[in-house]
Amino acid sequence: MERITEHPILGETKKGREISFLFDGKPLKGYEGEPIAVALRAAGVMTHRYTQKRHEPRGVFCAIGRCTDCVMIVDGVPNTRTCITPLVEGMKVQTQDGVVAKEEKGERSK
Amino acid sequence: MHSINDRNKEIGKFIPAADDDLIICRCEEITKGEIRKAVHDGMFTVTEMRRYLRCGMGLCQGQTCAKLTKNIIARELNVSPSTLEPATSRSPMRPIEMKILGKEEVNKNERD
Amino acid sequence: MKRYDLIIVGAGPAGLSAAIEAAKKGLHVVVFDENLRPGGQLFKQIHKFFGSKEHQAKVRGFNIGKKLLAEATQLGVEVQLNATVTGMYLDKEVIVKKGDEIFHFKGDAIIVATGASENSVPFKGWTLPGVIGAGAAQTMMNLHGIKPGKKILMLGSGNVGLVVSFQLLQAGCDVVAIVDAAPHIGGYGVHAAKVARCGVPFYLSHTIQSVSGDEKVEKVVIGAVDSSFTLIPETEKTFTVDTICVAVGLSPMSQLFKMAGCKMDDNPKKGGQVPVCNEWGETSIKGIFAAGDVAGIEEASSAMIEGKMAGVCASEYLGYCSSAEQAKDLENMAKDLDSLRQGMFAIKNRGKKIETTMEGIPISTNLLKKGFLSDADIKRFSPTKKIAGVHPVIECTQNIPCNPCQDACVRHCIKIGKDITALPVVDTTKTCMGCGLCVAACSGQAIFLVNEDFSSDYALITLPYEFLPLPQKGEKGKATTRSGEILCDAEVISVKTSKAYDHTALLTMKVPLAMSEKARFFKKVKSYA
Repeated sequence: MERITEHPILGETKKGREISFLFDGKPLKGYEGEPIAVALRAAGVMTHRYTQKRHEPRGVFCAIGRCTDCVMIVDGVPNTRTCITPLVEGMKVQTQDGVVAKEEKGERSK
Repeated sequence: MHSINDRNKEIGKFIPAADDDLIICRCEEITKGEIRKAVHDGMFTVTEMRRYLRCGMGLCQGQTCAKLTKNIIARELNVSPSTLEPATSRSPMRPIEMKILGKEEVNKNERD
Repeated sequence: MKRYDLIIVGAGPAGLSAAIEAAKKGLHVVVFDENLRPGGQLFKQIHKFFGSKEHQAKVRGFNIGKKLLAEATQLGVEVQLNATVTGMYLDKEVIVKKGDEIFHFKGDAIIVATGASENSVPFKGWTLPGVIGAGAAQTMMNLHGIKPGKKILMLGSGNVGLVVSFQLLQAGCDVVAIVDAAPHIGGYGVHAAKVARCGVPFYLSHTIQSVSGDEKVEKVVIGAVDSSFTLIPETEKTFTVDTICVAVGLSPMSQLFKMAGCKMDDNPKKGGQVPVCNEWGETSIKGIFAAGDVAGIEEASSAMIEGKMAGVCASEYLGYCSSAEQAKDLENMAKDLDSLRQGMFAIKNRGKKIETTMEGIPISTNLLKKGFLSDADIKRFSPTKKIAGVHPVIECTQNIPCNPCQDACVRHCIKIGKDITALPVVDTTKTCMGCGLCVAACSGQAIFLVNEDFSSDYALITLPYEFLPLPQKGEKGKATTRSGEILCDAEVISVKTSKAYDHTALLTMKVPLAMSEKARFFKKVKSYA
């Protein structure tokens, strides 16, 4: 989704410095300190994880750290709420499938 | 105790409905049909339903589904939702990792 | 274990107001908030508040938040963020998770002001990425500067749904429809009118049938419902969208009270489970108080006053102020609170069928069903005599507690009176000078300046404009009706901005004289395909 550069009431959007991070091995850009979910959405990523039972896609729902639908594996830690976790340079963000990284799951036969 | 715990209450048989496949508990992927069927299995309270199906026991601890689950149970029992006892409120009110509880020092002085 | 005079859970409007009041009386206060930022929902509110000067009317939510935070900090209140209260016990002990450690604290008194959480409504496809809560949309747009989506359908027409829809438009998103299963719009008519004039259609007595897409929202189908909310066959309407925004009510987050052993009450009028408390927020356990939405869903203005009351009561309970002082404070605060709890949308009037305003004028049913006043409504609410020259036209037709327009006019052209729920009336004995301060001050954006004597063929309409890009003087575009339909050509005569208007620009457009009673918004004409 598009970022808002200037808002009629809030004025110019202030952000930290631009940094890069990894999403499923792919380099993406975001701003230091903003929630990981925001950087992902700006890059067009809507699916954060697949559910354990039905392998259905989930993404941001509440955006305030309550619903836990946006959780991903961040720097190796699963179930990290990306809507409230600040982005750090070089962060490794992975799509979660159940509770493991989807990238790794794909390597094992189903 | 609420009057709903009368297990002899006749609520009729479970009648399948078109939206039984609708997910209610998003975290544990429990459907409306499963909840409704569980009422007919004898789960008349929210706490029992939670322990039986795990709805409300996932990562979000019922933040999203609690009211929905209560309403579905109430409707199946043909009573007003406000007569049902909501789920027990117990610490921790937010999900917390075991390692944090594990390293709690009871007599620790808060140093800030 | 560290001990505080007063522990407050929640740094939102109620919590901060309570902290300020208690700190003023000399208490050592700590406020724990689980979020990264304080202010609760205040910092997401970019609209001007209603009420009167005492209630911070015409001040934008986030500015109220800044004021509260500054005052609390200045008084020495400790606000700890990222501090989650995970448990509260009978003897006023709380467990707080900070980072990856647990701490125990004891409070001589505790005020819980944890606010409310959003309700959900399940529908086919509601788990798809792209379905978000209204709060999520606000967080993304107003805190993080990102559009939640490009094409959005809003489910819910209460104040949250209406206000967030307008904010989505301000953020540059396209709101394709506002849908509600109820037969009437739940929020203020003026909030609905703001989005209706931008062309957003309302579908009352409709619900979402299904949402579908390949791994994310791509399409939504809505259908009409009857009075028992059952879908009526063959009434489907399909929209191409990428986002569904759900605004279907709030529920108090009152679990801490339950845990501590307070008497609880399941009250649908208050939004759900609330602690049983008296009018000052004292629960069934001495020394534990409730304030704000957690005690009953209302709004930020009432939350702030309830917070103050709880702060005063906690102070008295701990001996930091006399009963006489407490009584005096509470009397004034109760008066303030009571003046907010009046009018068409007051809790006491919920469920009642209201057919006329307090003044005896039949209310607009079009406003309730479609979000805009009909031509017949305008005639009914307009003054009978034609007013010469530039004059304010006030399209405020519901009794809600609000009066910044009265204070805005230096010539005293607008009268509301002591009861702030009365409809504003234009005093025809006073002469309007066309400054437009009333247009900018109206939190409902319901005041316009109209001059039908500009020339023999044209009239001038001045309207509030809060979008980017701002139209330019001389720009030619179209004037639209109250429902957003294109009416006629319009030329921008002036666009005034001023610090006094607080980000509401005053756009004056020239329209054919015959359109002066219908033209109420300016639509830019795209100069490219």
